[in-house]
Amino acid sequence: MTENAPAPRAPSSKRLEPLRTVDAGVLNIAYYEAGPADGPAVMLMHGFPYDIHSYVDVAPQLAAQGCRVIVPYLRGYGPTRFLDPATPRSGEQAAMGADLMALMDALHIQRAVFAGYDWGGRAACVGAALWPERCIGLVCVNSYLIQDIARAMVPARPEREVPLWYQYYFQLERGRAGLAANRRGITKILWEQWSPNWPFDEACLERTAVAHDNPDYVDVVIHSYRHRFGLADGDPRYADIQQRLAALPPITVLAITLDGGGDGVSPATDGRSTAPKFTGRRVHRVVPRAGHNLPQEEPEAFAAAVMELIKA
Amino acid sequence: MSDSIDRRRRLILGAALSGVASRAFAQADAAARPAGAPSSQRMEPLHHIDAGPLNIGYYEAGPADGPVAILLHGFPYDIHSYVDVAAQLAAQGCRVIVPYLRGFGATRFRDSTTLRSGEQAALAADVIALIDALGIRRAVIAGHNWGGRAACVAAALWPERCTGMVTVNSYLVQDLARAMVPISPQYEAALWYEYYFQIERGRAGLAANRREIARILWEDWSPDWDFDDATFDRAAAAYDNPDFVDVVIHSYRHRFGLAAGDPQYAELQRRLAPLPPITVPSVTLDGDADGVLPASDGRASAAKFTGRRIHRVVQGAGHNVPQEAPEAFAAAVMELVKA
Repeated sequence: MTENAPAPRAPSSKRLEPLRTVDAGVLNIAYYEAGPADGPAVMLMHGFPYDIHSYVDVAPQLAAQGCRVIVPYLRGYGPTRFLDPATPRSGEQAAMGADLMALMDALHIQRAVFAGYDWGGRAACVGAALWPERCIGLVCVNSYLIQDIARAMVPARPEREVPLWYQYYFQLERGRAGLAANRRGITKILWEQWSPNWPFDEACLERTAVAHDNPDYVDVVIHSYRHRFGLADGDPRYADIQQRLAALPPITVLAITLDGGGDGVSPATDGRSTAPKFTGRRVHRVVPRAGHNLPQEEPEAFAAAVMELIKA
Repeated sequence: MSDSIDRRRRLILGAALSGVASRAFAQADAAARPAGAPSSQRMEPLHHIDAGPLNIGYYEAGPADGPVAILLHGFPYDIHSYVDVAAQLAAQGCRVIVPYLRGFGATRFRDSTTLRSGEQAALAADVIALIDALGIRRAVIAGHNWGGRAACVAAALWPERCTGMVTVNSYLVQDLARAMVPISPQYEAALWYEYYFQIERGRAGLAANRREIARILWEDWSPDWDFDDATFDRAAAAYDNPDFVDVVIHSYRHRFGLAAGDPQYAELQRRLAPLPPITVPSVTLDGDADGVLPASDGRASAAKFTGRRIHRVVQGAGHNVPQEAPEAFAAAVMELVKA
């Protein structure tokens, strides 16, 4: 890419289609796939409150460069469904990592680049930390995202607590009811707060917001935000994974971490405080002006990071 | 970094304020505002009196035989919200009493075992206990925020003690039965501290960072108020009260039904549950720059005022109306005193 002529963005009307579905672990996962079947695999993981269209530009850029790109809807989003109505609708970090592994198993992908931001960045970190033999390299927004639940009750600076209003709101049944009733309104506020420089339009928001109509969305989201504070039990099937995550395991694979210079919820860092968590080669970059939804806001920077790992 | 946070905070406010639907008539004389007290001026000396479960620290001004006005501060504020109002009312012949609420400033619990409740019934019972202790039969009860709620509860349950009521943000008795009903997301975002205080992280955060949290709330709730550090620090000293954190946390948990009340107020709370009307003459004020409770035209709460009630929007005022627009607040009290 050139400095002066950024590639055009996909219009808000463009959808990542067609979708495919596959049974994987406890889920039937809906995902978008692009690129040559024999190319190096890249798993692109979206966050909350977003969907696969965070990668609407990244996916074709990577496919055009020869990658096999897989973009799944996380549990609770879009057409992804739980196979069993009795499965707890957990949103815990271990479940997100396990879903990623289950999807790769189901697709017979041995190794892939794990790339993500927000919840998807956490899934990528969990996958990279616990299953490094499956991971070619990690691209993650906001560096090391494995949750330190043992320290969840330690307050942050007040100016950092204010943007977490939704996390505290979701601790109450009022927050659950509010999310169920106003999921689009909450999504719009969070997008505006987290990406103050991103001029998304209503069509762009709506394209993603339909993914939040998933019947498990509210349960998964609420569980995710309660579990990380130690205020909801995990699904016992992930207890062993969670126990391994409690030690905050290092990431040994090649990693590129990106921060958005305009991120309104996780302000950009110089990467030094998380450096001990990356014991392999790790490059940290601040992407100017980008907000929290970095792959959708600055797809060239995100795609370039993925390609660097593939070429390494 | 902090730029983006400031921007985001303003965004919350902007979203909240954009919901302001209508503005009633404004103060005509807002432009000709006398200079306020300097931020170095403290309301001193304080008096102390045993009243119910408390020993209450309070400021008093004006003639002992004047009509009484009780001025009740809010969270996270202190008696200096009334630094100008008190002087103005005293000059007009009122006996002014400005107590520190439980958990604030010089007020103390008399018994170490008393529950550090911040529930609405307790705050109002404290007002009645205070005027009982002072031998005051009837008074204008005026307040904002927690203090406005205490005024509403006292006026509703003890109308025989209340010659009139002034509140900011109209009817403030809490509807606990509907506390789990969500409101629109931009207003929920502005209540971040209330949700934060529901978990132990919020309690620890308040204990560790009470000044920083209060300063964020002052700035968010009064975006047009150009207070200086000395003004803030004068109030913030009141948060060092040993019961501040317990009372605040209990207050915000109780209103969502997530903390049990003190049994000694159970009967009062039971009477508050049906949201009793206020029958005494009332003046309600909204600040048109209030960043947490946007100004209203007063109609939604009209049914709760069955006596004479005047509603006004004070231009340029934020949430701390008595300190930001003392003339408007004092004028409202004087109207009730003269009525």
